[in-house]
Amino acid sequence: MTEIWDGLTKAVQLLISLDPAVMEVAGRSLTISATACLLASLICIPLGSLIHFHHFRGKRVLINIIQTLFSVPTVLVGLFLLVLLSRSGPLGELRLLFTPTAMVIGQMILITPLLLGLTISALSGVSKEIADTATSLGASGSQAIRLVLKEARYAVLAAVMLGFARAISEVGCALMVGGNIRGATRVITTVISLEAGKGNLELAIALGMILLLLALIINIVLNRLQQR
Amino acid sequence: MSLIEVVDLSHSYGEREILKGLNLGIDKGEAFALIGPTGAGKTTLLRIMDLLEVPGAGEIYFDGKHVPRSGKQRLEIRRRMSFIHQKPQVFNLSVYDNVACGLRWRGEKRNRIANKVDHILEMVGLEGYRNRDARTLSGGEAQRVALARALVLEPEVLLLDEPTANLDPISTAKIEQLISNVARQQNTTMIMATHDMSQGQQLSDRIGVLLDGRLVQTGNATDIFRSPTNEAVAHFVGMENILEGVVVENNEGIALVNIDGYIIQAVSGYPVGKEVYACIRPEDITLLIPDGGQQTTVKSSARNSFQSEVTRVTTLGPLSRVEIDCGFRLIALVTRISAEELNLQAGKEVYATFKATGVHIIEKGSGQ
Amino acid sequence: MKVIAPRIALIVLVLTLLVTVLGCSGQTEPEVLRVATTTSLYDTGLWDYLEDIFEDRYDADLQIQAKGTGIALELGMNGDVDVVTVHDPLKEAAFVAGGYALNATVDGNSTARVTWAYNYFIIVGPASDPAGVGSLTGSLAPEEAFQKIQQEGALDPDTVRFVSRGDESGTHGKEKAIWASAGYNYTEDIVGNGTADGWYIEAGTGMGATLVMADELMAYTLTDKGTFLAYQGDLDLVPLVETGDIMLNVYTAMICTNGVNPGMAQNLVTFLRAPEIQALIAGYGVPEYGEPLFYPWDPEICGLP
Repeated sequence: MTEIWDGLTKAVQLLISLDPAVMEVAGRSLTISATACLLASLICIPLGSLIHFHHFRGKRVLINIIQTLFSVPTVLVGLFLLVLLSRSGPLGELRLLFTPTAMVIGQMILITPLLLGLTISALSGVSKEIADTATSLGASGSQAIRLVLKEARYAVLAAVMLGFARAISEVGCALMVGGNIRGATRVITTVISLEAGKGNLELAIALGMILLLLALIINIVLNRLQQR
Repeated sequence: MSLIEVVDLSHSYGEREILKGLNLGIDKGEAFALIGPTGAGKTTLLRIMDLLEVPGAGEIYFDGKHVPRSGKQRLEIRRRMSFIHQKPQVFNLSVYDNVACGLRWRGEKRNRIANKVDHILEMVGLEGYRNRDARTLSGGEAQRVALARALVLEPEVLLLDEPTANLDPISTAKIEQLISNVARQQNTTMIMATHDMSQGQQLSDRIGVLLDGRLVQTGNATDIFRSPTNEAVAHFVGMENILEGVVVENNEGIALVNIDGYIIQAVSGYPVGKEVYACIRPEDITLLIPDGGQQTTVKSSARNSFQSEVTRVTTLGPLSRVEIDCGFRLIALVTRISAEELNLQAGKEVYATFKATGVHIIEKGSGQ
Repeated sequence: MKVIAPRIALIVLVLTLLVTVLGCSGQTEPEVLRVATTTSLYDTGLWDYLEDIFEDRYDADLQIQAKGTGIALELGMNGDVDVVTVHDPLKEAAFVAGGYALNATVDGNSTARVTWAYNYFIIVGPASDPAGVGSLTGSLAPEEAFQKIQQEGALDPDTVRFVSRGDESGTHGKEKAIWASAGYNYTEDIVGNGTADGWYIEAGTGMGATLVMADELMAYTLTDKGTFLAYQGDLDLVPLVETGDIMLNVYTAMICTNGVNPGMAQNLVTFLRAPEIQALIAGYGVPEYGEPLFYPWDPEICGLP
């Protein structure tokens, strides 16, 4: 119990003092996960719309696969990328392993099924007649899709939120393809894992609190947005 | 030349045939009402005409040009039309944005959009609702938004699918007023589907009756209501008295028709021996009280007069529906006031009279 | 009869349960012994090899966690494990001084730190050896190698790099000791400037992962020889510096004061120092790697007792 209490006290201290090392790591966590989430959204929202609005063979199967991949283990994504980006791997020439770029790619892969699947179900929540009405008012195919996306904007936003939460809270992939290198690829979760490994439990708890706080702030901001 | 023309149009949803070889041309500036019972295929026909769906078979011509089954040209043609759906679907946006959507999609300039939207909102009486969330509106208000959203596009063709279904009478009146104003002022071609015959009659120049996927009769309101071409149309347009009989004599266009041993006279050219239906609108039957045993027939110019007994009286708002038995069953509509004055009730003896011109004769087995 | 039937069933059930319970208590449940070990021991597979033999001999259930020395000692302090096997003399001394270790009996002597095997740390790096440390020999070779890596790395951080465990493990402790012995202030000169220059890469991870990272980045790193041999097949790294007094790596076992099973813990300590087990340790890995991963306890090298 004293460790938890000490952790809390330390977290408050670190936060109030804006400890530069902690701020650096928190900032990197935010940047990497936000970038991954943004890029994944830019891919998944249009792709999800494409899947939702087109009828093709195997659509149900595809959606089932996507939903199954919601829970893809982070270390599996890490392993896959490690093999791919390794010096001896097919993309080794790019020299991306143990860089923040590799972590962004890993988190993108990780949250892509989630964003795709939730975008599709968000769009399914919009009545078919909305797209119909838009078409009859002269919307082109893409204009109608954009309107339906707008109708589903809160559900899509929630999907993006969930994707971001999964990205920023994962550790397996970040550790494997980022390598937890000080000053380069160290993020909150990998530092927690490292500090706990060092037996430095107070700092680990403090960082955990900061991660939770970060998640809380993001949630509040997005909730405010939704209520508008 | 027709503005929109459909030729040999057929369409199915799975096993169900909705439209069966339908031909129809709508002229520029015409107001056309498509009437028919629920499930007759009215909505499907409108959706195909609006190019929302590709018909299973048949061709569509717009403004003289053949409409392809796919491609960009469909969007261009569709943008010359507006469609108001039966259940108004407002978008989860402000009233203003709802109405502005179509113009934005057509790439209109911002300030032109603002002018047009404000003008149309005023026209439909929603000027105070500009920034309201459209989903908080009542059914009537939502339908007015849907109407504004369609009208702001100044379409060449306005398609309406049961525009007043599920609305209260006051909202219905407002919407009908708006539609008829637009039709008159802007010379918009209008195609309206309705199951309400009086609405069709009131808002259109021409009516088409759609029954079970077939367009069974088109014509002006008088044609349709007075002279249905077959029994089914007669039934649908409210000919409550449809009597089966045979022509037994024809004197210079006045046919005598034998109905279960009773003879009625009707204006018709059908020859002797023809099996027919004699249709009489209930409001065309007059009821008289016998005057103390005297012959009453002479008092009326009507050629048909039958002594009969009232079997049942039902009040329908300002009217009374009177069922009588004069050897065969007839239904008459009289005002509630006259029903009270005549003291009509079951068992009462009356004379039912109607003119020969009030009887519409349909050949049996026609239009099938 | 119909009423009695359920009663008979109940009696049979109760008797069955009774027999089962008695039968179980008659059979002795293996005693659980929890051990936290440094990753360098575990990654070589030595513990898997010894585990079965120990469990058979003492009817014990050995539960082993592979951790960095830092967290292993933390677990020991909290009593979450009964025995720790680590390799960081400074931290071990602090552990004993804090009263977290019980005295164990080996060869008739009583001691808190039981040394039981050793090997050497080595500096490995890319075969191209851009800093040119492969030619160094002698008792100060490790310090000289670190100096070269620091100098060349600062000049050309894209070519000469060093990956550090950075996880407060025993290996990390040894690395710090070498930097200090080479005349550097570890925190300022190495972590501070080295990270800023980009040649010093603090991985914050286990020995195996650190080797993989050094291999990927074509960098130098410090490793215990056992783990390196175990990983060598998958790596392009080659051993470059294998001599030097400071490179000695002694493995220690300590019985935790707060542990729950000191008796079985003493058994493990006795086991590790038993002559026939020492012979197994000395021979472990020889068929696979061509040389031993660990050397048996030697009082001359490991110190008494």
